[in-house]
Order: sequence, then C-alpha cells, then structure tokens
Amino acid sequence: MHKLLSGIAFLSLLISGCSSSYQKDTSRLDLIKKRGELICGVSGQIAGFSFLDNDGKYKGLDVDICKAFAAGIVGDAKKLQYRPLTATERFTAIKTGEIDVLSRNTTFTLSRDSTGGNGLSFAPIVFYDSQGIMVKKESNIKNIQDLKNKSICVGSGTTTEQNINDVFESKAIPYNPIKYQDASQVSASYLQGRCSAMTSDRSQLASARSGFPNPAGHIILEDVLSKEPLSPASDGTDNKLADALRWIIFTLITAEEKGITKENIDEKVKLAKNNPQLKSLRRFLGVDGGLGEKIGLRNDFTINVIKATGNYGEIYERNLGENSDVTLSRNSNKLYINGGLHFSPPFN
Amino acid sequence: MYLKKINKNFKKFREILLLNSLNNFLTIILVFAIFITFLQTFNWLIVNSKWTAVTTNIPLFVFGTFPEDQRWRPFIWIMSLLTICFLSIVPPKWKWLRKNLLIAWIGMIPLGIFLLYGGFGIQTVMSRNFGGLTLTILLTVCSSMFALPIGIGLAFCRQSSLFVVKKLSSIYIDSMRAVPLIAVLFFGQLLIPLFLPLGLEIDSVWRAIFAFTLFVSAYIAEDIRGGLQAIPHTQIESAKSLGLNHLQIIRFILIPQSLRIALPALTNQVIGLFQNTSLMSILGLVELLGIGRSILANPKFIGQYIEVYIWLASVYWIICTLLALMAKYLEKRLKIA
Repeated sequence: MHKLLSGIAFLSLLISGCSSSYQKDTSRLDLIKKRGELICGVSGQIAGFSFLDNDGKYKGLDVDICKAFAAGIVGDAKKLQYRPLTATERFTAIKTGEIDVLSRNTTFTLSRDSTGGNGLSFAPIVFYDSQGIMVKKESNIKNIQDLKNKSICVGSGTTTEQNINDVFESKAIPYNPIKYQDASQVSASYLQGRCSAMTSDRSQLASARSGFPNPAGHIILEDVLSKEPLSPASDGTDNKLADALRWIIFTLITAEEKGITKENIDEKVKLAKNNPQLKSLRRFLGVDGGLGEKIGLRNDFTINVIKATGNYGEIYERNLGENSDVTLSRNSNKLYINGGLHFSPPFN
Repeated sequence: MYLKKINKNFKKFREILLLNSLNNFLTIILVFAIFITFLQTFNWLIVNSKWTAVTTNIPLFVFGTFPEDQRWRPFIWIMSLLTICFLSIVPPKWKWLRKNLLIAWIGMIPLGIFLLYGGFGIQTVMSRNFGGLTLTILLTVCSSMFALPIGIGLAFCRQSSLFVVKKLSSIYIDSMRAVPLIAVLFFGQLLIPLFLPLGLEIDSVWRAIFAFTLFVSAYIAEDIRGGLQAIPHTQIESAKSLGLNHLQIIRFILIPQSLRIALPALTNQVIGLFQNTSLMSILGLVELLGIGRSILANPKFIGQYIEVYIWLASVYWIICTLLALMAKYLEKRLKIA
C-alpha cells in the first residue's frame, strides 16, 4: 500500500514537472503562429453572439472577435477553427490547451481572473451587459418588489443564478427560482406561464423577446441585478498571448475612434504612408514605431484586423444593430466620446 | 356478415364503455378530452407552426458544420452503412459476400474514419466540424463496434476459472454498472484532458467514444453472460469428447449461440446507446440534438423550439424503429437457420 501511494505521488510529480517545463518554454502565441491556425472556443447557442447560420457557418459578435484574433495573429481571418463549448467545460478547455482563446460570452470576474480561481487572463471587455428581468406586460409587475413570492425562470450553471439569489436575499424578498439547463428552455417555460418572470443578461432577454409571438407584450424591468462585462479569455500563465489579444481588441476600439472602417482602410493606409506628420495614425497602422513586434505580432496587424472585421462599431452593427435580427441599443457599448464605456489606451 | 360483426363490436363497446351512468359520464369526458387535444394539435400543426428552422437547415441537421464541398464523404459513409445493414437483413445470393459480411462490418470503422477525417489524398477535416446526424451515427457505430468484442471478452473472463481474471472483470462490470452514464461522460470530457500531460491531446469525439465504450461494454458483457449461461453444459462436454480444443469450443459453440440468445438484449443496448449519444449535446459536441440547439440560437428561428424538437424526436424515432425492425428480421432469420 505504502509503495503504491508513493508510486502515485512520484508519477504525478513527474507529470506536473513535464507540463510546467513545457509551458515555460513556449508561448501559446508562437504555437498558434506555427500551427497557422487559431482555435477559438465559442458557445454556438447564443443569438447575436454565436450561432449556426443556415450555411453552417458560425456568426455573431463573439465569432467576429475570434476572426479579429485570427486576422491579428495569423494574418488571415479564415485560418480559424471553432470549438463549441458549454458553460461547464469552457475553463477546462483553456487549461488543457484544447482551445487557444475563449470568446464565449464570459463574464469577467475576480475569481475567474485570479490564479487561485480559474487562472484565466481576460482581454478587454467587448460587451457591457447587465442582468435584467423580463415580465409580461399584463402582469402589472413594475419592479423587484412586485415579484414577492412569484416564481422566476433562470438558467443554471452561470453567474445569472447567483446574481438573482444575491439581490433577492439582500432585499429579503422571498421568491421561487425554477432552474433550467438551457436558455431556450427558460424562455419556453416562461412563455407557457410556468413562471411569472425570466431573468438573464439583458442582451439575451432582448434576443429571446424578438422571437416571441408578441414581443410588445413583454417588458424588461428597469432594475439592474448585476454588471456583466463580457470579455474573451485565455490562459493566465501566458502573458505574451494575453498581450496580443488585449491589443487586438483595443485595435477595434481605436479604429472606431479614428473613423477607420473596413471600406476606407486602404485609403487611410495610403494617407498615413504619404504624410509623415500624421504621427499617431502612422503608429497605429504600423507604418512607424514597430509597435506590433513588441507584442509578438506583425507591425501591420491592425490593418489585417480591420480588413477582416471592420472596427468595433461595424461589428456591433452587423450583429446587434438596427438592421440585424437581434436589435439592441448600444447604450453603454458606445465609445467613451459618445457617452459609452469603450475606451482604448493609446497606441504609443 | 359484416353487419353482424359491427353489431357485435358495438355491443361489446356498449358493454365496456356505456354500462352505467358513471361509465357514460367518464366515456363522454374522455372522448371530449381526446377530441379537444386532437383539435388543438391539428390547429397548431396547420396554422401556428413554422417549420422554417427545420426545412432550411436539413443539410445542417445531417452533416453539421462539415465543409460544404466535402459533404459527399459522410453521405457515402452513411449510404454504405445502410447498404450493409440491408445486406445483413436480406442475405445476398453470393456466398463470398455472405462469408465476408463480418469483415465488411469491421471495415466500416476505418472507412468512416478515413472518409470523415480525410488524409491520403482527400482534404483533412477536423473533428470539431463533425456534427448532426453524422456525428450521432459515428458515435453509435464506433462505440458499439468497440464495445461488442470487449463485452464478449469480459463475459468470458467473468466465467473464467482463474480467480484473478474472474474477480477483475466482475469488479469492472459491477463498478461500471454502478455509475451513471453521464458521470462517465463527464469524466471523459472534463477529467481525461486534465490528466494528460500538456501538449498531448485526444480529440473530444474520441474521448466520447472511449467513455461510451467503457460504459456499454459492461452492459454487453452481462447480456452475453446471460446467453452463455443459457447454453447447456452438456454441449461443451460433448464438444470436448469430439476432440475440439478450448478455442474451437468458444469459436464454434459458445459465441454463435450466446450471441443469438443475447440478440434482443444487444439490440436494446444499441438503441439505448443511439439515444444516449444525445447526452453529448450538454458536453459540447454538436450531434443531432446539439445542432438543433445551435440552430435554435439563430435569431431567425428563435421561438421555433417545439417544431425543432418534434423534428428531432421523429428522426430519433425513425432510426430507432429501423434498428428494432432490423433486429426483428435478424432474429427471425437466425431462428430458422
């Protein structure tokens, strides 16, 4: 028995020794470039963020972020593989190296970011969401207080479940949570009247409502249950990859700020090349300064990113804008100059 | 003649359903309830249901995210599976083909792997792109084909006279049967990758097949053991007196008979396995159920979940019925033989 135990201990030491030495030598970034392909973890089941379109291709805001990463790191947005992941397995998939990047509607929290927790590293926030509650208009529920002793449908295994519990418990309002594994089940049982309200991120509520038979008959309450900053994540021990991802997101935001779009990128590049006095534009587009090399990318990575997906505003419009299937007003997802929260540090 | 029959039936009907006032009352209520249900269902089917989520996505349901120009590959594989199923039910005239049917069945796995993964001259496709019915069939076929020999082996080990072999296999079988399938699948999808050293990676489809094989082989072993125990011991003794050696007894007497006896139970396992593959949809594989859920997330089809689930249920129903029919014909044929 003793021998067996020490044998197991020795084996596990050996394995952990192997894995740590493996990690130190190579950054995931070099691995991705060598492989020539980025593996991106998505949900595949969230309207507006990632879903399967008729042609069998993934679409959505999270998917466009993956494309931006692939364009920035590999140089081609098509060199990209998606791995559909459920909420439970998403963090394991990063830890085991099955995926390079997670772009799956993941809320940025302390315990997920810390080494004592999930040990991830979060890129800048790509979508500012908040949790809300949707009720039927004729139910006359106006705020959280009206939901006393009512049942609420909630998806389990996410921060959603915890948040609603925190809010109702802190206000000492008794309520009856009905939990479901799946977002479509939550809205189905809400529609069937099994619960008087459903709760989820506001973006989810809006997209669910757009598919209801009578969208105008449902209202999303003003009460905000939580902040849900959604952001892509990667392995926390890999700073080189995290830096690259961070500045690719900032590229999208800065491009919108500077008015650089998918259409006018070529013009802007030409402009920057011909005018030595446009210092900040030249640095941003990689004409001067050699900024890309400092984070392990090509100097003109910003051009590739913008050519692939456009700036942040374009990505938003395409997936959640006025003319898309899921319409969500931009509110806090505007640039800081327009009263929103998106802000990029300078490319210096 | 007919009138008499109808009259008789009607009388019987009256006797059962309209005997006294309580029965009358119950009958009327039930008939009314059935009528209402039918009317509602019919109304929903004709008027309210929208089937665009199903009709516009048929290729997705069948092939998943498999590259569009390569879809002929899973198609060929599914077709050859169907052909070989048909050949197993209705035996062909040619003797050589009948003799080699088993080899053809075993050959289905390498053929499937080659056609799906590619390589050797055709474009390689990563298993992340497998999905829909193709993935469901791949999981079922591979797991059941691997589990059958392992199960037979375990069953014989459990009958063995060697103490260690016997104990080990019964511990394995009993512990596998004591664990819920979903726990084994979670183990396969979430824990195996953590145990492996970094850089070594088994793709998630194979981890799933591995977990299913582990689980199902224990059940198959028990089914086969039932078959083995049904064979009278005198047969083995007479075989021995005829001079057959141990392997020959297993090969010509025990395996064919026990498989024939265990056939209904084995059919059960395959049908159960086929349906259980849908559990993988909560573990990130987009098999038939998973692809349905991904399609439901498309903003164009939000709210069509009833239609999609009805469609999925009927696909599962059709395939399971086909499997059951196939097993029925096979049983009939083997009894005659």
